[in-house]
Amino acid sequence: MSVAPPPRRDSVTTIGEDGSRRFLFPADSRGPLTRARRASALGLIALYAALPWIRVGGYPAVFLDVARRRFHLFGLTLAAQDLWLMFFLITGLGFSLFVVTALFGRIWCGWACPQTVFLDHVYRRFERWFEGDALARRRLADAPWGPEKAARALAKHGAYLLVSLGVAHVFLAYFVSLPELWAMMRTGPAAHPGAFLFVGLATGLAYFNFAWFREQLCIIICPYGRMQSVLTDEHTLVVGYDAARGEPRGPAGQPGVGDCLACERCVRVCPTGIDIRQGLQLECIGCTACIDACNEVMRRVGRPEGLVRYDSQAGFAGRGRRWWRPRLGMYGLLLALGAAAALWAAAGIHPLLLSATRMVGAPYYVDENFVRDQFLIRVVNKQDHPVRLQLSLSGLPPGAAARGCEAPLTVAPMGEEVRPLILEQARAAFRGSFAVRLRADDGRAVTEADRPLEFLGPLPARDGP
Amino acid sequence: MTKPTIPPNAEPHLRPHRFDGIQEFDQRLPNWWLFTLYGAIIFWIGSWSYYQWFREGKDGPQQVQAALTQIEATKLAATAAARIDDAGLWAMSRNPVIVEQGRQVFEANCIPCHLSSLRGKSESPAAIGPDLTDRTWIHGGRPTDAYRTVTQGVPEKGMPTWGPILGARRISQAVAYVYSHHQEGEPIQAAPPP
Repeated sequence: MSVAPPPRRDSVTTIGEDGSRRFLFPADSRGPLTRARRASALGLIALYAALPWIRVGGYPAVFLDVARRRFHLFGLTLAAQDLWLMFFLITGLGFSLFVVTALFGRIWCGWACPQTVFLDHVYRRFERWFEGDALARRRLADAPWGPEKAARALAKHGAYLLVSLGVAHVFLAYFVSLPELWAMMRTGPAAHPGAFLFVGLATGLAYFNFAWFREQLCIIICPYGRMQSVLTDEHTLVVGYDAARGEPRGPAGQPGVGDCLACERCVRVCPTGIDIRQGLQLECIGCTACIDACNEVMRRVGRPEGLVRYDSQAGFAGRGRRWWRPRLGMYGLLLALGAAAALWAAAGIHPLLLSATRMVGAPYYVDENFVRDQFLIRVVNKQDHPVRLQLSLSGLPPGAAARGCEAPLTVAPMGEEVRPLILEQARAAFRGSFAVRLRADDGRAVTEADRPLEFLGPLPARDGP
Repeated sequence: MTKPTIPPNAEPHLRPHRFDGIQEFDQRLPNWWLFTLYGAIIFWIGSWSYYQWFREGKDGPQQVQAALTQIEATKLAATAAARIDDAGLWAMSRNPVIVEQGRQVFEANCIPCHLSSLRGKSESPAAIGPDLTDRTWIHGGRPTDAYRTVTQGVPEKGMPTWGPILGARRISQAVAYVYSHHQEGEPIQAAPPP
């Protein structure tokens, strides 16, 4: 197992010259930021585990029922037909992330991303319990295989697998709901091969990711870090090093040196293997471990804290920090536009779909007395309970009659009904095509058909020149 | 193949070309990244052999054809179960369960023109459809004639083409419901063309 050399800006610390992986043994950080981050991580994990248990409006708070194509989000139920709303949800999340990034840098990565939350606060904790601190872990990694190393590795990887199994099962619960998950867990794998395969793959992926892959995901796979350079500017809050105060580095007591003791604590605690003193880098996930580490050292030598701190690059350069920047307005405007569109769209979601299409065949029928148009009414009930609908028409001119919408229409839960509708107009009274509006009243709300019905007929003969 | 070797802690190699003052590092990709590339190549060999060499897998049009065949088979099975011939439809018209199912289909689709009494124009001159309870039918009186009329429709008169809307099973049920208003084997004449 090769040990990572001191970080350089020209290459990735965790990739060797021959392309091999270099494993990091990040030391523990202690301090208020680490404690706050742990608290937020545990809260987020609790939220992740709790959402399938909390029930809103008869369904789990988040239940993406793929099998029935119904998506329940905090009481709002969307059908497959409403999936276009996802556009607004995803762009809304994107623009929110833009605003947050412009203001606070990669606060998402360090405080809320599942990769960091699970890796730092669950998996690395098991590593710490079973294999000791960074020094002990490095020593153990270099040691030849023996019973003790094997026992520790077995315990650690066993714990990893158990946690991965738990994470995967909760993940599946978001798609099948807890009662169904529990029912499936009590039967053999053969009864639900798809779900079994899903949990198996998710467990394997989580285990591989958190046991081995780790920071490679953030550095090489995740696109968010790559966007850092275009989303942030010199006024964005980032984790950084006050070079003006710290340089030149040197041991305490030596004349002419800055505050940095060159103790390398900040490098040793870094989970992505960089040196924060080399400036803002793609690899930095803003986890603040180096802030806590440096502050601890500064306290010990009696110097002010904040040599490594949250600040903007302008702030580190000694210039004033500005919160307001034009890009915030741009990102905020886009976010507001998207949110407004999403609200407008969500308000337009109807629990019923009502439409009418012309029947296949001639567009209209004519005999001596009447002009007749034939339509098919289609009603889709997207709700979980049956509805009893009274159909009604408006806009019928005098002499026109409708057949087929007199009796109330019952549509089963998640059901669809098709009914013929025949519009008739006395031929003598026909003065050209007209539009008829179709409505369905379920006793509580009225749904209008997506388009009016166009009554067609032969052009009336002109009377004289 | 010679591997670019970089002594530890030395400056990484730079590629010789330069554009706008920008130069490129010549560093090795992560091995795990290369494994995904080699894995994809191995997968491609297997996948290509499966589809192109052994011709085991179905391509897109073949899959569509297979699905269409499946749909066709299901439709045929439904039709076969309903026994679409005069004797079979007469037999269905004596079965109360099928007649009740047929009544529901008729009520949902046919009454705007033929009325729920089935008597159409005989009941009200303003009705659109002809009487289905009399013994003189415009398009033929055998059950298979009626089945054909419903399925294909009579476009020039406005009788819709119900085949694609209702399907064979529900059409045969509706026809059975109509014939439940007649005695079994009752002769129904084709009306002379007007």
